[in-house]
Amino acid sequence: MVDPLTLDRWLHRLIFGAVAGVVVFVQILPLETRAEILPGPEWMLCLTFAWLQRRPDYLPPWLIACVFLMLDLLLMRPPGLFTALALMGAEFLRARQQVSVETPFGPEWMLTGGTIGGVFLVYGMVLALFGVPEMQFGLLAVQAVLTVLAYPLVALATRYLFMVRRVTPGDLDPRGLRR
Amino acid sequence: MAADRNSELDYARPIRRILIGGLVFVLLAVFVLWRVDSPRVERFRAALVDAVVPSFDWALVPVTRTARLIEGFQSYARLAEQNQELRRELRQMMAWKEAALQLEQENAKLLDLNKVRLDPRLTHVTGVVLADSGSPFRQSVLLNVGARDGIVDGWATTDGLGLVGRIAGVGKTTSRVILLTDSNSRIPVTIQPSGQRAVLAGDNSVAPLLDFIEDPAQVRPGDRVVSSGDGGMFPAGLLVGHVALGRDQRLRARLAAEYDRLEFLRVLRSHAGEVIRDAGGLVVPAPIGPAPAPIPAAAQEAGDG
Repeated sequence: MVDPLTLDRWLHRLIFGAVAGVVVFVQILPLETRAEILPGPEWMLCLTFAWLQRRPDYLPPWLIACVFLMLDLLLMRPPGLFTALALMGAEFLRARQQVSVETPFGPEWMLTGGTIGGVFLVYGMVLALFGVPEMQFGLLAVQAVLTVLAYPLVALATRYLFMVRRVTPGDLDPRGLRR
Repeated sequence: MAADRNSELDYARPIRRILIGGLVFVLLAVFVLWRVDSPRVERFRAALVDAVVPSFDWALVPVTRTARLIEGFQSYARLAEQNQELRRELRQMMAWKEAALQLEQENAKLLDLNKVRLDPRLTHVTGVVLADSGSPFRQSVLLNVGARDGIVDGWATTDGLGLVGRIAGVGKTTSRVILLTDSNSRIPVTIQPSGQRAVLAGDNSVAPLLDFIEDPAQVRPGDRVVSSGDGGMFPAGLLVGHVALGRDQRLRARLAAEYDRLEFLRVLRSHAGEVIRDAGGLVVPAPIGPAPAPIPAAAQEAGDG
């Protein structure tokens, strides 16, 4: 018999991977092959941060690294850099999240928005430093802003679609024990 | 759980930090490796894409078609207007068609008189566009033909109307086409009728830049841009587009290929594939003036003796 808590964790990890697959699938659909289109928000970064601040135990660092490295490779991004920054951002948020305290959404959004901004800023700076030709600060800035704006949507989906919610002190885990 | 958390903390935290630090280091090392030795990582990426994307194949093409169908329905609103426009264009085209037929007959006759044979190497492989780059910073598409179909890195790709890009990255069943608009794309072109040489440099905008024009004064907006075949990269004379003056007052090429609708692409079997044998060989300009005709070895020996 598998421990229900472990099962729950692994189920959510699978869901996380599946969502990443769907995001890649939609992004590589060749619907718009012209240049100069506005970049969409970085959905997976939003989703990672939203889940992380609700249930950090669902997203161990290795999972974040694997999923983002796959995204980097499949979406033709410079491999490794965005993964490393997303992982650092995730660990920053993980260290700052208060377990068992119900935080209002406003401060959470501010903190996450700051982290997202930081990730994109460092990303752009490192790309410029290494002289990567596809670097465009304007587009990156647009993408960062859109990602911050998309965060509440993703947080809503996390809460009501994926049923990932914070553990409150009174909650019991599926075994009936205090977490 | 609450009780043993404290005892766990002392050991778990530092180890965890070291592990995450190591992971970040490895990821950054991958990035630096990509930057320093890009082809090797890109080959790995091509192999990975080749393994992953064809498994989406069954869904990618139908979903794309459906989305395009919906787009098509949206344009039905303008149908009557479009119809009128098409009728008008058709009338013009009839006149052009007559002229083209006459020219074709004349051309065939002249070719026959000259006993010209067209280059048999210029055959093509047609592929379906499976996916695009998925990133607004890279302009490329993935075709469903690859090494299995004999595709070689560097071959030119057209959509029937104009040049689209070149093959860069071949997997077993897929190959990636770097579009002319990608910021890594550099193609030698000739501007007709003045015959000026230039380099078409993609910069992630709709109209790539025409760089290194010998004499910009001789180039006018509206001139034809064709591939020049310099450096043996592409067959010469493929239509690329027309010269246009950009908003930034620089000469750009408005591309002839329909970039918003890349569905089937032709990969031209243009050359056997440029193989770079020596590392960092010097690029020396060719000597000025006509190249000396190659002297047959026998003639040379006879001359010596």
